[in-house]
Amino acid sequence: MHCNDHHHENKNYSRRDFLTKTSLGLGALSLGSMISPVNAYGQSEFLNLLDSEKMKLPHFVPKAKRVIYLFQSGAPSQLDLFDYKPKLNEMFGKEVPKSIIGEQRLTGMSSGQNSFPMAGSLFQFNQHGQSGAWMSELMPYTSKIVDDLCFIKSMYTDAINHDPAMTMIQTGSELPGRPSIGSWLSYGLGTDNKNLPEFVVLVTKGKNGQPLYSRLWGNGFLPSQHQGVQFRSGKDAVLYLDNPPGVSSGIREEQLKSLEKLQRIQHADIGDPEILTKISNYEMAYRMQTSVPEVMDVSDEPEYIFDLYGEDSKNPGTFAANCLLARKLVEKDVKFIQLYHRGWDQHGNLPKDIKKQAKETDQATAALIQDLKQRGLLEDTLVIWGGEFGRTNYSQGMLKPDNYGRDHHPRCFTIFMAGAGVKKGITIGATDDFGYNIAERPVHVHDFQATLMHLLGIDHEKLTFKFQGRRYRLTDVHGNVVKEVLA
Amino acid sequence: MLTEFLDFLGSLHPLIVHLPIGIILLTIAIDVFMRNKNNSVYRVITMGWFFTFFTGLLAALFGWFLGDNGYYFESQINIHRWSGIALVSLSFIIWVLRYINFRFSKPFNRSLNLTTIILLMVTGHFGGEMTHGQNYLFENLPYIEKEISLVKLSEAKRSKADSLMVYEDLIHPILEEKCMACHNQNHAYGGLNMSAFESMVKGGNSGTGIKKGKPYESLIYKRVSFPHDHPKFMPPAGVPLSYDQIATLEWWIDNGAEKQIPVTSVRNDAKIQRMIEIQYGLDLKEKTFLETLKLASPSPEMLKSIQGEKYFFRYLNPEQSFMDLKFTKKEINTKDLINIQKVKKNIVWLNLMDCMLKDDHLGYLNDFPNLTRLKIQKNPLITNKGIEALKNLENLSELNLYGTRVSDAALITLGQIQSLKKLFLWNTRITPQAIADFKAQHPEIEIVAGL
Repeated sequence: MHCNDHHHENKNYSRRDFLTKTSLGLGALSLGSMISPVNAYGQSEFLNLLDSEKMKLPHFVPKAKRVIYLFQSGAPSQLDLFDYKPKLNEMFGKEVPKSIIGEQRLTGMSSGQNSFPMAGSLFQFNQHGQSGAWMSELMPYTSKIVDDLCFIKSMYTDAINHDPAMTMIQTGSELPGRPSIGSWLSYGLGTDNKNLPEFVVLVTKGKNGQPLYSRLWGNGFLPSQHQGVQFRSGKDAVLYLDNPPGVSSGIREEQLKSLEKLQRIQHADIGDPEILTKISNYEMAYRMQTSVPEVMDVSDEPEYIFDLYGEDSKNPGTFAANCLLARKLVEKDVKFIQLYHRGWDQHGNLPKDIKKQAKETDQATAALIQDLKQRGLLEDTLVIWGGEFGRTNYSQGMLKPDNYGRDHHPRCFTIFMAGAGVKKGITIGATDDFGYNIAERPVHVHDFQATLMHLLGIDHEKLTFKFQGRRYRLTDVHGNVVKEVLA
Repeated sequence: MLTEFLDFLGSLHPLIVHLPIGIILLTIAIDVFMRNKNNSVYRVITMGWFFTFFTGLLAALFGWFLGDNGYYFESQINIHRWSGIALVSLSFIIWVLRYINFRFSKPFNRSLNLTTIILLMVTGHFGGEMTHGQNYLFENLPYIEKEISLVKLSEAKRSKADSLMVYEDLIHPILEEKCMACHNQNHAYGGLNMSAFESMVKGGNSGTGIKKGKPYESLIYKRVSFPHDHPKFMPPAGVPLSYDQIATLEWWIDNGAEKQIPVTSVRNDAKIQRMIEIQYGLDLKEKTFLETLKLASPSPEMLKSIQGEKYFFRYLNPEQSFMDLKFTKKEINTKDLINIQKVKKNIVWLNLMDCMLKDDHLGYLNDFPNLTRLKIQKNPLITNKGIEALKNLENLSELNLYGTRVSDAALITLGQIQSLKKLFLWNTRITPQAIADFKAQHPEIEIVAGL
């Protein structure tokens, strides 16, 4: 499977093998002949057994077959959307009590402030549905479907800045280089549709904010066929997928077949599994030449569906259009669809900016969930909405009666989920009256990831990959399934 | 009056029993270590055996009274009782023999001493088991694994949690352990015999044992939950009922105190359920059909029929026996369905959406015993006629019919599927009125019929 696997077959030796074995000198050579290559590379029987756990996936009958992750990049303010804190309005402008912040770290952007005035949300909160979930007026459409949602108001993370926090929630580590959630699922569960990638990424076009790196949907150390494939709006959904001018489909097929023959010879010679990955990538690209234009084509959709998702949905590349595409991909059994919507990083001018931001996402999010529901797809699809951390209860910069900003706040934030295997119309966890610390049922990012894996039938402790001498998993050595979420 | 006095003497048994123990050991020590046995040493030893016999006789007598008061089972006491009596008799014989100056040989003397000590150890050990519990001797040894679950239920019973009964499997064993030594058919103390269900409910001289549905008016519950120093607290000796045991008893009386209440009905109380799960090592969570289903993997022979581009399947469990199968092409024919039928036992989820499925095709699906989820949406040729075939799917819990041409009459057929939990009917010809009527008749079935 991986680039070092051929060492264990004990029959093909690459240049690298030769150098590793000989560069340690004669002593190493004689040792090498005494110890079997299997032991020399630390692959004991026991560890083999661990790896074979992967063969038995899923570990139990899954609730969800697919995931749509509506990632809100930049960290939306939970205090203005979901986490209703009248205390902050009562004490508007007063200093955050010392006992609340304690010795906790703040970002360099606001730690120098002389004053930390509490900023109650300017937006009206109301309870909705039978579950009585609190929602702000910023999300009128989502408010109507709260009885289908499961809120976690006590999420927290380790990182205080965007890049590490996003890397954390997407890959389980603050440091870049680990596989993204979608890659792990692709690696663990494989494909349900051979004509499309298992892991598709859709980014809202024309948004500014924190940069998005393709490593956020990268395969890390997993074989590269498991990386996320970005579908762009416009003519070429997947770059370089079309045949160059003058090359017909027949010529292309013939060319790929010849290339595969060459690659198979090469693989037989040195046995590097990454060659097989390359072959499968070419094959996938070829199949995608027909499957991608088909799935990207929304001309069949009736008018009332566009109405449901909002007028943006006719404009390719918007969040609404991407939500509609996500539904189409789910219908085609794509396993993991990751949307990114940037622009939530409101350090200043929050009340004005968040309105616009909420308007762009609210209707389409609710529409997606409803649309999946009426098609029976919500039964086996999990939808997640959330950012990488929360925002502070105090104002960054000057607090005015009608304006404030909020800094990064990793100590608590809110996400919501809907769909397969998740309880409906409940709220898990709570923050304190000041919306600063968690008061009830903390859920770490790793717990969230463990729960996600659980819903897909994976024991997060068992899906591992050996790299650089040790086994890695999405949740590394952490994470507990949040049982309260499970229906 | 006499009984109480005998009980009092009985309670002296643990005190007095240590006298003969000390005297035996001292006597044998003198016998072994005093090499030069002149006449006075001989008489000291003889006197030692006499005192052993005398105090031993008292201890045995008091022990008999103690054993007779009913706090212990005969099976517990038996060895202790008779080895104790043997010990007393032996010391009597030795004393008599020495008293009449019977000269015994050295080896014979040694073997008498040895027998006495062995008898002493046996008696002492089984006495200790009664006061300190069955495993007292080894339980604190570092290498002994400690039993965590307090109450043991046989493996066979534990695996069939669904068929356990609260009274027979939980309550009766508690009462047997804590109460029935005194309250049984032979000595029904206070007129109460708890060994049979009926007589326990009836109660004894003080009144009704159990008032069904009213734990706080039931004497049995009241007596075991009194403060421990209350004169009426039960049991009067030994280890009281644990918190969990009392709570289980309370739940049972509260819920009717019937003989035939299955253990699974504790699901109505999350706290008691959790308590019983931990205490008895049970899993009482409600199981779905799939969680109880055991299947063998399909044979390679069977799998051959669904090879190829047309079919896609994945296994849903590590045993690789539950299949989730979908048809991937735009048009299905009877041959495809016959192929799918070859693995019908293993298919638990089946997706035949959007493939021009016709009414007579559905006939091929009428015998899929383990099918729980069927997706035949977006097949505009499906009408009420086809649906008829589905009513034999006895484990179907989810059916997706959106985008088919079924109409109100189909609901009559669908209502016959007992296992059905969810129905998707968006974009069909079924009217809102029919759905409302159906919902009223089948509140357990969730219907999704559009926004």
